[in-house]
Amino acid sequence: MSDSRNDRPPTTPLDAMFDQRLSRQTLFRGAAGAMLGMSPLLAAACGGGSTSSTAQTSAGQPKRGGVLRVSFASAGTAETLSPLIAVTPIDQARVQSLYDPLIITNPDFSTSPGLALEWNPNSDATVWEIKLRSGVTFHNGKDFTADDVIYSIQQMSKPSSYALPFVSGINAKDIKKVDKLTLQVPLKSPDSDLPSNFAQYNTWIFQNGETDFKHPVGTGPFMYESFTPGQQSVFKRNPNYWQSPKPYADQLKIVGITDNGARLNALLSGQIDAMGMLPTAQAKAHQSTGDIVVLTGKSPQPIMFYMDVTKPPFNNNDVRTAMKLIVDRPAMIEGALNGFGSVGNDIVGKGLPFYDTSLPQRVQDIEQAKSLLKKAGQENLTVELQTSEIIPGFVESATLLAQQAKAAGVTINLKQVPANSYYNPSLLYLKMSFAETQWAITGMKFFYLQALSKDSPYNETHWNVPSFDSLLSKAIGELDKTKAQDYWNQIQTIQYNEGGYIDWVAADWVDGLSTKVKGITPSGAGALGNMAFMDAWLA
Amino acid sequence: MTAVAERGRRVRETSPVLAFLGRRMLGALGAILVASLVIFLGTVVLPGDAASVVLGRNGTPQQVAALNHRLHLDKPAGTEYADWMSGLAHGDFGDSAVGLAQGETHAPVWPLISGPLKNSLILALVTALFMIPLSLFLGVLAAVNAGRPADHVISLGTLTGIALPEFVIGSLLVGVFFVGLNWLPPVALVPPGANPLDDPQKLVLPVMTLLLASLASGVRMVRAGMIEVLGTEYVQTARLNGLPERRVLYRYAMRNALAPSIQVLAQNLQWLIGGIIITESVFAYPGLGTTLVTAVGNRDVTVVRDIALLIAVAYILINLVADLIVMLLVPKLREPA
Repeated sequence: MSDSRNDRPPTTPLDAMFDQRLSRQTLFRGAAGAMLGMSPLLAAACGGGSTSSTAQTSAGQPKRGGVLRVSFASAGTAETLSPLIAVTPIDQARVQSLYDPLIITNPDFSTSPGLALEWNPNSDATVWEIKLRSGVTFHNGKDFTADDVIYSIQQMSKPSSYALPFVSGINAKDIKKVDKLTLQVPLKSPDSDLPSNFAQYNTWIFQNGETDFKHPVGTGPFMYESFTPGQQSVFKRNPNYWQSPKPYADQLKIVGITDNGARLNALLSGQIDAMGMLPTAQAKAHQSTGDIVVLTGKSPQPIMFYMDVTKPPFNNNDVRTAMKLIVDRPAMIEGALNGFGSVGNDIVGKGLPFYDTSLPQRVQDIEQAKSLLKKAGQENLTVELQTSEIIPGFVESATLLAQQAKAAGVTINLKQVPANSYYNPSLLYLKMSFAETQWAITGMKFFYLQALSKDSPYNETHWNVPSFDSLLSKAIGELDKTKAQDYWNQIQTIQYNEGGYIDWVAADWVDGLSTKVKGITPSGAGALGNMAFMDAWLA
Repeated sequence: MTAVAERGRRVRETSPVLAFLGRRMLGALGAILVASLVIFLGTVVLPGDAASVVLGRNGTPQQVAALNHRLHLDKPAGTEYADWMSGLAHGDFGDSAVGLAQGETHAPVWPLISGPLKNSLILALVTALFMIPLSLFLGVLAAVNAGRPADHVISLGTLTGIALPEFVIGSLLVGVFFVGLNWLPPVALVPPGANPLDDPQKLVLPVMTLLLASLASGVRMVRAGMIEVLGTEYVQTARLNGLPERRVLYRYAMRNALAPSIQVLAQNLQWLIGGIIITESVFAYPGLGTTLVTAVGNRDVTVVRDIALLIAVAYILINLVADLIVMLLVPKLREPA
């Protein structure tokens, strides 16, 4: 479920003691403020006092050369260079530097051709013909051909690969090579937007025959030089990159520093040039100091509460709606995320194609909430909300919700559970009736398939509505955009009115850059401009 | 005395130092075995496993069990323990559980930990090199000036250091020396394979943090011992005989004050081995502590066990050496019982 639960920031090492890596996604974030956040706060407090913009301007001509040093939280020995099992932000940074996607996601979620130039579906969107870009070579000089794409897709289709959700609709063994740069992909069911399945980094293309990824070969802007899991990777510029004249930097070092304070200090002292996932409190503190650039990317990233719609009291839709009306969304964004996000409207995908902008924005309405609860016979409702430090903002938002709920007569008892159980299907995940979740979304289709349909692997709200499923299939298979938008509107209206998700925010990506780094445009699709290291140059 | 009787006498009068060493080494081996058992049991009761970490969300209990079975990670505990111990006896630290779960056929642990181990040892050693002389010197200074301002300053200063958590000390030092004065780097990033001593500047703040956090106990022990000794008659006699004060202090008095201090210094060294996790993390120093913590988070039980056992062995060895030094320092302990 890459398009869903990846890109979680890491916890501090001490929190990591209690974390289990979910899907090797040890989101090592968390108690930055508590234990080890003092150093950055101190550094922040002692910073300078001038103002500066938070947007990264790319004025001036890109300059060649230099070493670009980027840091994310480390995942220790579980770090990898294989797109198939990459899962943490630091993995993503490496994969997106070594390899290329078939289709490129632009900062505004529009797409551009990557390794694939043309995508032609048949009349009912069950077979797609893909024409590939010519003249592309791998880092070892070999030509990029259809064989590489076919092999990659077949590897992605294995049960152990994280790309499986994106290619599970493909009949991988029946993919046909039409010619050196063309392949035909048969599907198990209609999909009107096959290209979107190949945007996310688990689906990026590697060489035919690659097995152990120890000395990985891709077509991407940077080439493998060395890699010490848990510490750093060193890549060098690909001089034959097809998106010439990029990349600009001669060398890319991706360094793992787990402690948020230490990572920020490294940025402040010039030992690194960019850091992904700057905690929002530190970002706020540094926005006006001018010592670093705070990069914010508006994204649909939902951080939300969810309710199990099959169990009391949430099996009553009036109770669910009441809960949605209790939330003071702007206050929650300010309190839990220091303002780094825009208001969510309970349906996921703000800013993405097919998002229904016509649904009225929910606001806090305590009176209406109280009357709905009364109607449901649930005045003075008491519920337990399970939360965890695994994602920054979870515990804070849960605490705020408990406070806000009092006004409506609802008592929310918070239970903080260890991060290692929260997303572990063998322990707590999918067994909690009121909890929180976060997804990294680049397309609505994947969220609905993975969370809200009959076969969804991550059906947090235990949603099972057959008519909903058939609507979803129609929406996904409909080639006519207007008809598809109509289906999607129906789907979203149902979720808005009856769903179990309370999506209160579309959270920003928040990163830190040295003032020397130019060229990175904030993107909704991922941190640091969606890992746009090929665009970056050092002033 | 006849030759036979002569040899017999030598056999009966084995050097007490050797006898001590022999007994203690047997004891150390026993302690290591017990430690290994406790460590092993600790990792066994940890909920979760490398397979579910690697499988992640996709890890239904059945899939996790299947992967564990394929990786031979579901052996009965007794077999696993025996395999681990026999591997260690051959210098084989085993395969990383996460590496195996990721599909590698061999994932030897030693290359994963040798670099961080070296880094941590260097940091610990550099700290110890300063800590021991500093503890002695400050302890003597405090004792000689007992009750006077110098004593108060030293006592209060070291007490504050030991009372504050390391990350607070580290942050304060970063605040002063980096943010304020811009003299020293706030993180100690050492590239893999590089020698930390190549850029000693990076080590200054981590070492200072460790020193400030630990000096108090050694200083106070030395001070207490010295005060006691300085009050004895034989020190008075030495002074009255006109010996220079420095000689009196360091050659005569300190030697007798040292025995209990050795134990405390040894404890400090032990703390350095295991307790630098926080300091390493505040300064992003790539040492054993960081490796251990991420391995726990990843449920890489092989790595966790190996590192934990290494730390335990270091503890036990330091104890052994400390006891030996005390014995050498205190002639009374060397007399046969």
